[in-house]
Amino acid sequence: MRRYSIMYFISQSIKGLWRNGVMTLASIIVLMSCLVIMGSFSLIVMNLNTNLDSLGDMNEIVAFIDPEKSAEEVDSIRKAVEKYDNIKNLEFISPEEALEQEKQKYEGEYSYFFEGITSDIYPATLVITYQDNAKVETLKYDLEHTEGIYKVTCHADIAETLETVKTGIIYIFVWFLAVLFVVSVFVIINTIKLAVFGRRQEISVMRYVGATNWFIMLPFILEGVWIGLLSSGIAYFIEMSIYKFIAGVVATDYQMFTLVPFGTVQLPILLSFIGIGVVTGIIGSSISLRKNLKA
Amino acid sequence: MIEFENVTKVYPNGTLALDGVDLKINDGEFVFIVGSSGAGKSTLMKLLLREEKVTSGTIKVDEFDLSCMSNYKVPYYRRQLGVVFQDFRLFQNKTVFENISFVMRAIGETNSRIRKRVPAILNIVGLQDKMKCYPRELSGGEQQRVALARALANNPGIIIADEPTGNLDPELSFDMMNLLRRINRSKNKTVVVITHEKNLVDHFQERVIRLEDGKMVEDRVGGMFE
Ligand SMILES: Nc1ncnc2c1ncn2[C@@H]1O[C@H](COP(=O)(O)OP(=O)(O)OP(=O)(O)O)[C@@H](O)[C@H]1O
Ligand SMILES: [Mg+2]
Repeated sequence: MRRYSIMYFISQSIKGLWRNGVMTLASIIVLMSCLVIMGSFSLIVMNLNTNLDSLGDMNEIVAFIDPEKSAEEVDSIRKAVEKYDNIKNLEFISPEEALEQEKQKYEGEYSYFFEGITSDIYPATLVITYQDNAKVETLKYDLEHTEGIYKVTCHADIAETLETVKTGIIYIFVWFLAVLFVVSVFVIINTIKLAVFGRRQEISVMRYVGATNWFIMLPFILEGVWIGLLSSGIAYFIEMSIYKFIAGVVATDYQMFTLVPFGTVQLPILLSFIGIGVVTGIIGSSISLRKNLKA
Repeated sequence: MIEFENVTKVYPNGTLALDGVDLKINDGEFVFIVGSSGAGKSTLMKLLLREEKVTSGTIKVDEFDLSCMSNYKVPYYRRQLGVVFQDFRLFQNKTVFENISFVMRAIGETNSRIRKRVPAILNIVGLQDKMKCYPRELSGGEQQRVALARALANNPGIIIADEPTGNLDPELSFDMMNLLRRINRSKNKTVVVITHEKNLVDHFQERVIRLEDGKMVEDRVGGMFE
């Protein structure tokens, strides 16, 4: 293609964007929102993934010791369990300590509830944190088959909860995004339709003098491309600002949570925004032109 | 050369607009197509422009066979034709120069070719001084001459005009027809003019083809339109 016609297509398509500014703006806002939501969602999932690994440390198993056992027996059980594989930390909580903990928990309003209660009703427990998440089932099995332990609970399995939350988020967002992309394509279709309508006389004359379909359609396709590019550019800056703001809050108030630095994700985000934005723009304009592509 | 062979056109709603038309127009001929309203004159032009497809029969224009032409070829075929309409169809927001350069650009002409050619064409229709005017600043006759200049811009071999003088008063109509004939004679272009105007047809003494109810009922030289 010769250079003058490239300039012609570019100037025609930009004029077209101006001519129906309101629709152009609407398309850009919808597509941009779509991209920001998609980007935020990917960043959330990415950060959940990195934090899930470190959250593994918080997992604990609680083993309840048969109350019938004597203090010596309890002590030997504890020594036996200490030798098991995959144990990072083991904490023994005696019935007295357990009662104390409960009392503290319900201090004040319900304290009358503990009147006359002795530590006998509480079993001694072993609170175990482990090293390897993958081998937790083996450890649980060993504990369940230890003489004197009558119950084992995998207590506060945060990782698993977060894993479920993550799946839930992915599920909701995928549907949400699908709907949003359909809306974006729809708005772009209408924008381009209006642009075509505004130039119907020119198109009709171009047809009579033998302009090719591509020559007629390219400015409109380019309009879709510009909408995609503008949307992705704006979405990128919004995403960056939101992320940097949140990273700042997290760094000061939630230090247990570590965020992936924006620098490591900026290029993939920018490129996928541009890619998705432009492809959506082209899809939208092509659909609205399909009818016009007949001779 | 334009050649219709047993051409029939039935519109999707069932209207029989052309019924077995045989017609041959040689290069450089000047032809009037006449007939009462609804006779099928505009349909014939639409078929020639390949805006509509024949229902049966064949149309050949030079090396193009319109009855079996694939869509992607249509634009290249249309470059053989220049069209003038009764209502001019000029862009009101473009100057005379821009109206003409628009159709040259539409088929990929370069700016330098456009700058050279537009004044030359305007010269042919006698509007070289109106290049920077907008259509609303011109008379009806001048606007139709711009439309003719635009039809000539890409140097087509055939000019087709559907009631080109329909919106002009008699004197301007006469001038317009004269201009068309001059272009036919001096540039050796085939000119096909659809018209209702008996006095013009009679005056110019050219070949006349009459359609009635979709059929060709008369084909002769020398006017005498009824
Ligand atoms: N797109 C269409 N769909 C259906 N019928 C049509 C269509 N165009 C034209 N016709 C019908 O075909 C017949 C021929 O129409 P056409 O326009 O060719 O007539 P014409 O000779 O140009 O008439 P006029 O002198 O009034 O312009 C008419 O009966 C008309 O109603
Ligand atoms: Mg007609």
